[in-house]
Amino acid sequence: MDYSKFVNAVLESDETTITKQVNVITSVLVKFLTVRLDADFHTAQDCAQNTLLIAIEKIRDDKLTHPDAVINYLFTTAKHEYFKQVSKDREVKYEDLPEHHSSKPDQLKRLLDDEKMNILKRCMEALKADYKKYIDYWFQNPEYETSVVADHFGISVNNAWTKKHRVINVLKECIEKKINF
Amino acid sequence: MENSRELEIRQKIDAYIKGKLNEDDIQELWNEFAQNPELLDILEIEVHVKELIEKEVLNIKSESRIHKLPTWTWHAAAAAVIVIVALVQFFRVETPTQLDQFVIQQISPAELETSDGVRAKELQITTADSLLNLGFEAVISGNEERALELFDEVIAKHDEEPYGSKAFLNKGIVLYNEADYESAILAFKESAQRVQDSRMISEKAFWYLGNALINIGQLEEAREAVLKAYQLDGMFRNPAFRLLKKLNNDLGNSDYEEFDAPKLN
Repeated sequence: MDYSKFVNAVLESDETTITKQVNVITSVLVKFLTVRLDADFHTAQDCAQNTLLIAIEKIRDDKLTHPDAVINYLFTTAKHEYFKQVSKDREVKYEDLPEHHSSKPDQLKRLLDDEKMNILKRCMEALKADYKKYIDYWFQNPEYETSVVADHFGISVNNAWTKKHRVINVLKECIEKKINF
Repeated sequence: MENSRELEIRQKIDAYIKGKLNEDDIQELWNEFAQNPELLDILEIEVHVKELIEKEVLNIKSESRIHKLPTWTWHAAAAAVIVIVALVQFFRVETPTQLDQFVIQQISPAELETSDGVRAKELQITTADSLLNLGFEAVISGNEERALELFDEVIAKHDEEPYGSKAFLNKGIVLYNEADYESAILAFKESAQRVQDSRMISEKAFWYLGNALINIGQLEEAREAVLKAYQLDGMFRNPAFRLLKKLNNDLGNSDYEEFDAPKLN
């Protein structure tokens, strides 16, 4: 995603491009807030939308132009918006809320989606036996260094990574095909 | 877009899922996701794959769980044990000391051999070292079956010194603790044969070999192994001396000239 295009679209009021890019950024920010801060989906969505409104305003005022600065600004503002939201809720129901929000480890499981899981299951079943065996071994032994996996399958470390990426790419393509079908 | 940058990021994704990234790396990774949301798709897919595989493993484990026996079988077993103990006590001929008093019941996991690199950080950790360390971890976590697989992998693919002797020694220790003395004996013998330049491994191999042989009643051969452990003059010298005395007594051999008696405190 090219953030300089986003900045230009905002400056030129190119609504079609803005809408397209805003959808992509919103999705990233929502996932960021749910995974990193354990935000619930609706709060994350509100915060992401507020964040984009603030960022667009900043770009229009010429205070935000560099693509890297835009990315950092989006994440920082999204976090800030979330904490603001949580503090507001805390004023209402102070006793119900935990004292800390940042100490939790990342909640990667929040990315799980039942529909995607069912599709993935079908894709895994259709996977070549060699690939299935490989990816099973990879994820069943998360503590193993890649060199150990490579050694187990009699391949080089580079090939071990390549093979893992290949299996993930095959699964990604399979999921996309089934979703778009 | 299969370039080195993407490969690096995909390796970071793998590390992220495995909880191996620090805060700065995680934020850097999210910056990458913001620039390339396709990589966030990869993260999502990997999280799903991991979850699915973990669930499959859990299902297999729960299916293979041991079924509980009805309560009466436990009562019957307890009664049988009481009867057997009573009979053994009745027919037992008392001797001043029993051989099993001198024999190791369980070998501590601390006796397992891991990589030298654990203690000497300047040494490079090889794949065989990692496998030995993982085997040690598996034993500590109570997964002896997995540990044996790992030690077998070292034997199959890295049967050079010091890995071969270490892997066989570790395998022997696990098997000994599972009371599979015959297999343990074979492993200890292999370890003793392979070892080069490590008195510690030799000593352990002979000492545990002697103990395993006693467990299956091969006292003559056990005596030879214990004598070797004793002659190596290391950490097992004193228990080896006591065991040799007992073995000589039981074998009707009171000739102590064969080994040099140490001064015991």
